[in-house]
Amino acid sequence: MKLSALIFLLLSINVSAITTDTESAKLSLERLSQSLRQLNFTTSFVVVKNNQAEPYHWLHGVGANGQELEVFTRLNGPRRDVLRQGEVVSYIEPEQEAYSLTSNNAQSPIPSIFRGNISELEESYRFIAVGRSRVLGRVAQLVRIVAKDKYRFSYWLWLDQQSGLLLKMAVLTRQGQLLEQIQFTHIEVSEQLSESLAKFQLTELPAVITVNNQQQNKDLSWQVDWLPQGFSVIKSNQHNLNSYNRGDDKAVEFMLFSDGLAQVSVYVNPSEESYRAAEYASDGATIVFNHVLQGIEVGVVGDIPLETAKRIAESIGPAVVGKLKDSSAPDKEQ
Amino acid sequence: MSEIKSESVSSLVDNYSPSTDDNISAHLLDNMLKDEHLSSTWQNYHLIGDVLRDEVPQALQLDLSKTISAAIAQEATILSPNSSIYSSSKKSESSVTEDVTDQGEELITETNKVIDASNRFKAKIAAFVKPMGQVAIAASAAALMIVGVQHNVAENSSVTPNQVVQTVPLSGYANPVSFSVQSSQPAQSQHSKQQTQQAMDEQRLVERVAQQRRLQALLKDHNQQVKLGSNIK
Repeated sequence: MKLSALIFLLLSINVSAITTDTESAKLSLERLSQSLRQLNFTTSFVVVKNNQAEPYHWLHGVGANGQELEVFTRLNGPRRDVLRQGEVVSYIEPEQEAYSLTSNNAQSPIPSIFRGNISELEESYRFIAVGRSRVLGRVAQLVRIVAKDKYRFSYWLWLDQQSGLLLKMAVLTRQGQLLEQIQFTHIEVSEQLSESLAKFQLTELPAVITVNNQQQNKDLSWQVDWLPQGFSVIKSNQHNLNSYNRGDDKAVEFMLFSDGLAQVSVYVNPSEESYRAAEYASDGATIVFNHVLQGIEVGVVGDIPLETAKRIAESIGPAVVGKLKDSSAPDKEQ
Repeated sequence: MSEIKSESVSSLVDNYSPSTDDNISAHLLDNMLKDEHLSSTWQNYHLIGDVLRDEVPQALQLDLSKTISAAIAQEATILSPNSSIYSSSKKSESSVTEDVTDQGEELITETNKVIDASNRFKAKIAAFVKPMGQVAIAASAAALMIVGVQHNVAENSSVTPNQVVQTVPLSGYANPVSFSVQSSQPAQSQHSKQQTQQAMDEQRLVERVAQQRRLQALLKDHNQQVKLGSNIK
């Protein structure tokens, strides 16, 4: 009797503690989102993955007419910049000429959901405020974005108590293995727009290109029969995959899925080989998976565990609606 | 003689060596330990000293040393050999067990101590409870480890990660893919063996390069599509 009462008491304390943790974590994340959109800041950070560290500069500010200005610059190696003026995002890359897109998200090492609507993540992730520690010489609140299932990774964020900005981020497996880290090395929040952003405000960005929308969302001859809960289709299309094989481009049918944080690309195309064993490689938290089964080549790329990628690839089947693809003889070589 | 000895004992009690020569006092100590009369004198002197210094406890327990030695004798015989016999007899094979049990029984009989029923019961309980206790300890240790690890990660301010899945520079992949290598080859001459080995190596290299290209192309396209992806929403 006494014991059961005690257990009940303990449980209720636990439950209430968990709910308050979740609430404060969500508040912190909402503050982060707000800070990333509204503050003028100049930062440097280092992305640590594959035993390498890549340094970046990241400037953000709000211009004269309330327009958001943002610059990401990779500091090592060939120049790779992302520039944003309001709704126009420009990418400057060594492989191709600079181009601009209409978007309000600059694709950078910092997941764009952090400046968006955090509650979109609640379907697949739990938020937990863990405790305080010292990061970058500041008081930081550690917030964990924990995957609800085993099919995705968890994200740990250290948020500045003072400004609400990100100080450190880590991507971990369910077992706690560290895959990727972003460590800020410098943060400066200012009242006024920084000088370089003031100059950038006056710069004209490259011409906006329009993505050929005719090929978007057309019916594909296959479908993904299994995806972890919470993933939804962002887009699907047919395009040429440049395999860097001297003009040996191959057409692939493509789908992009996202659960808010992790983005997964699925590529399907018929192959000359009837079977090729699964091959994969990882780039930080991003896995690249590829195999040929029954004459169909499937590629899966995304920030997901290998097992998830494998399961997605194995779930590829002919579309229920649309023409069925008759695959070659299902012979398996070992 | 006896008086002289008593005097030296007295000075020893007062923490004062009767002679500067250590050998003599050591000799004296040996004598004292052997001679019952002298050791009782030593005891009495100490008691007198305690009384004079007003350091005597309320209830005088005059013969502490005897009770202690009795307690030691009891503990050593019952607890340690019995529990070890019990646990080892559970694990090991019968022959070994018998040996150990015999040994243990010898030990017990040697000391002429009879283990009463309650002690036996206690030992059994101890042996039974022990693994449970170990489990509890292991569980709490695991909990501590989890806390510790999390704490560690939180405290880990260094830029280098503890573990990285793989070291893959963006310009070229090292892949954890095993290629099916036929190991069961018929016996061949050394030369042709080398040739086939070389051919296989080359083929593997070609295959590896092709594979790297494929994966690289996929990763590149993924990054590109993610960028364009935000265009459509």
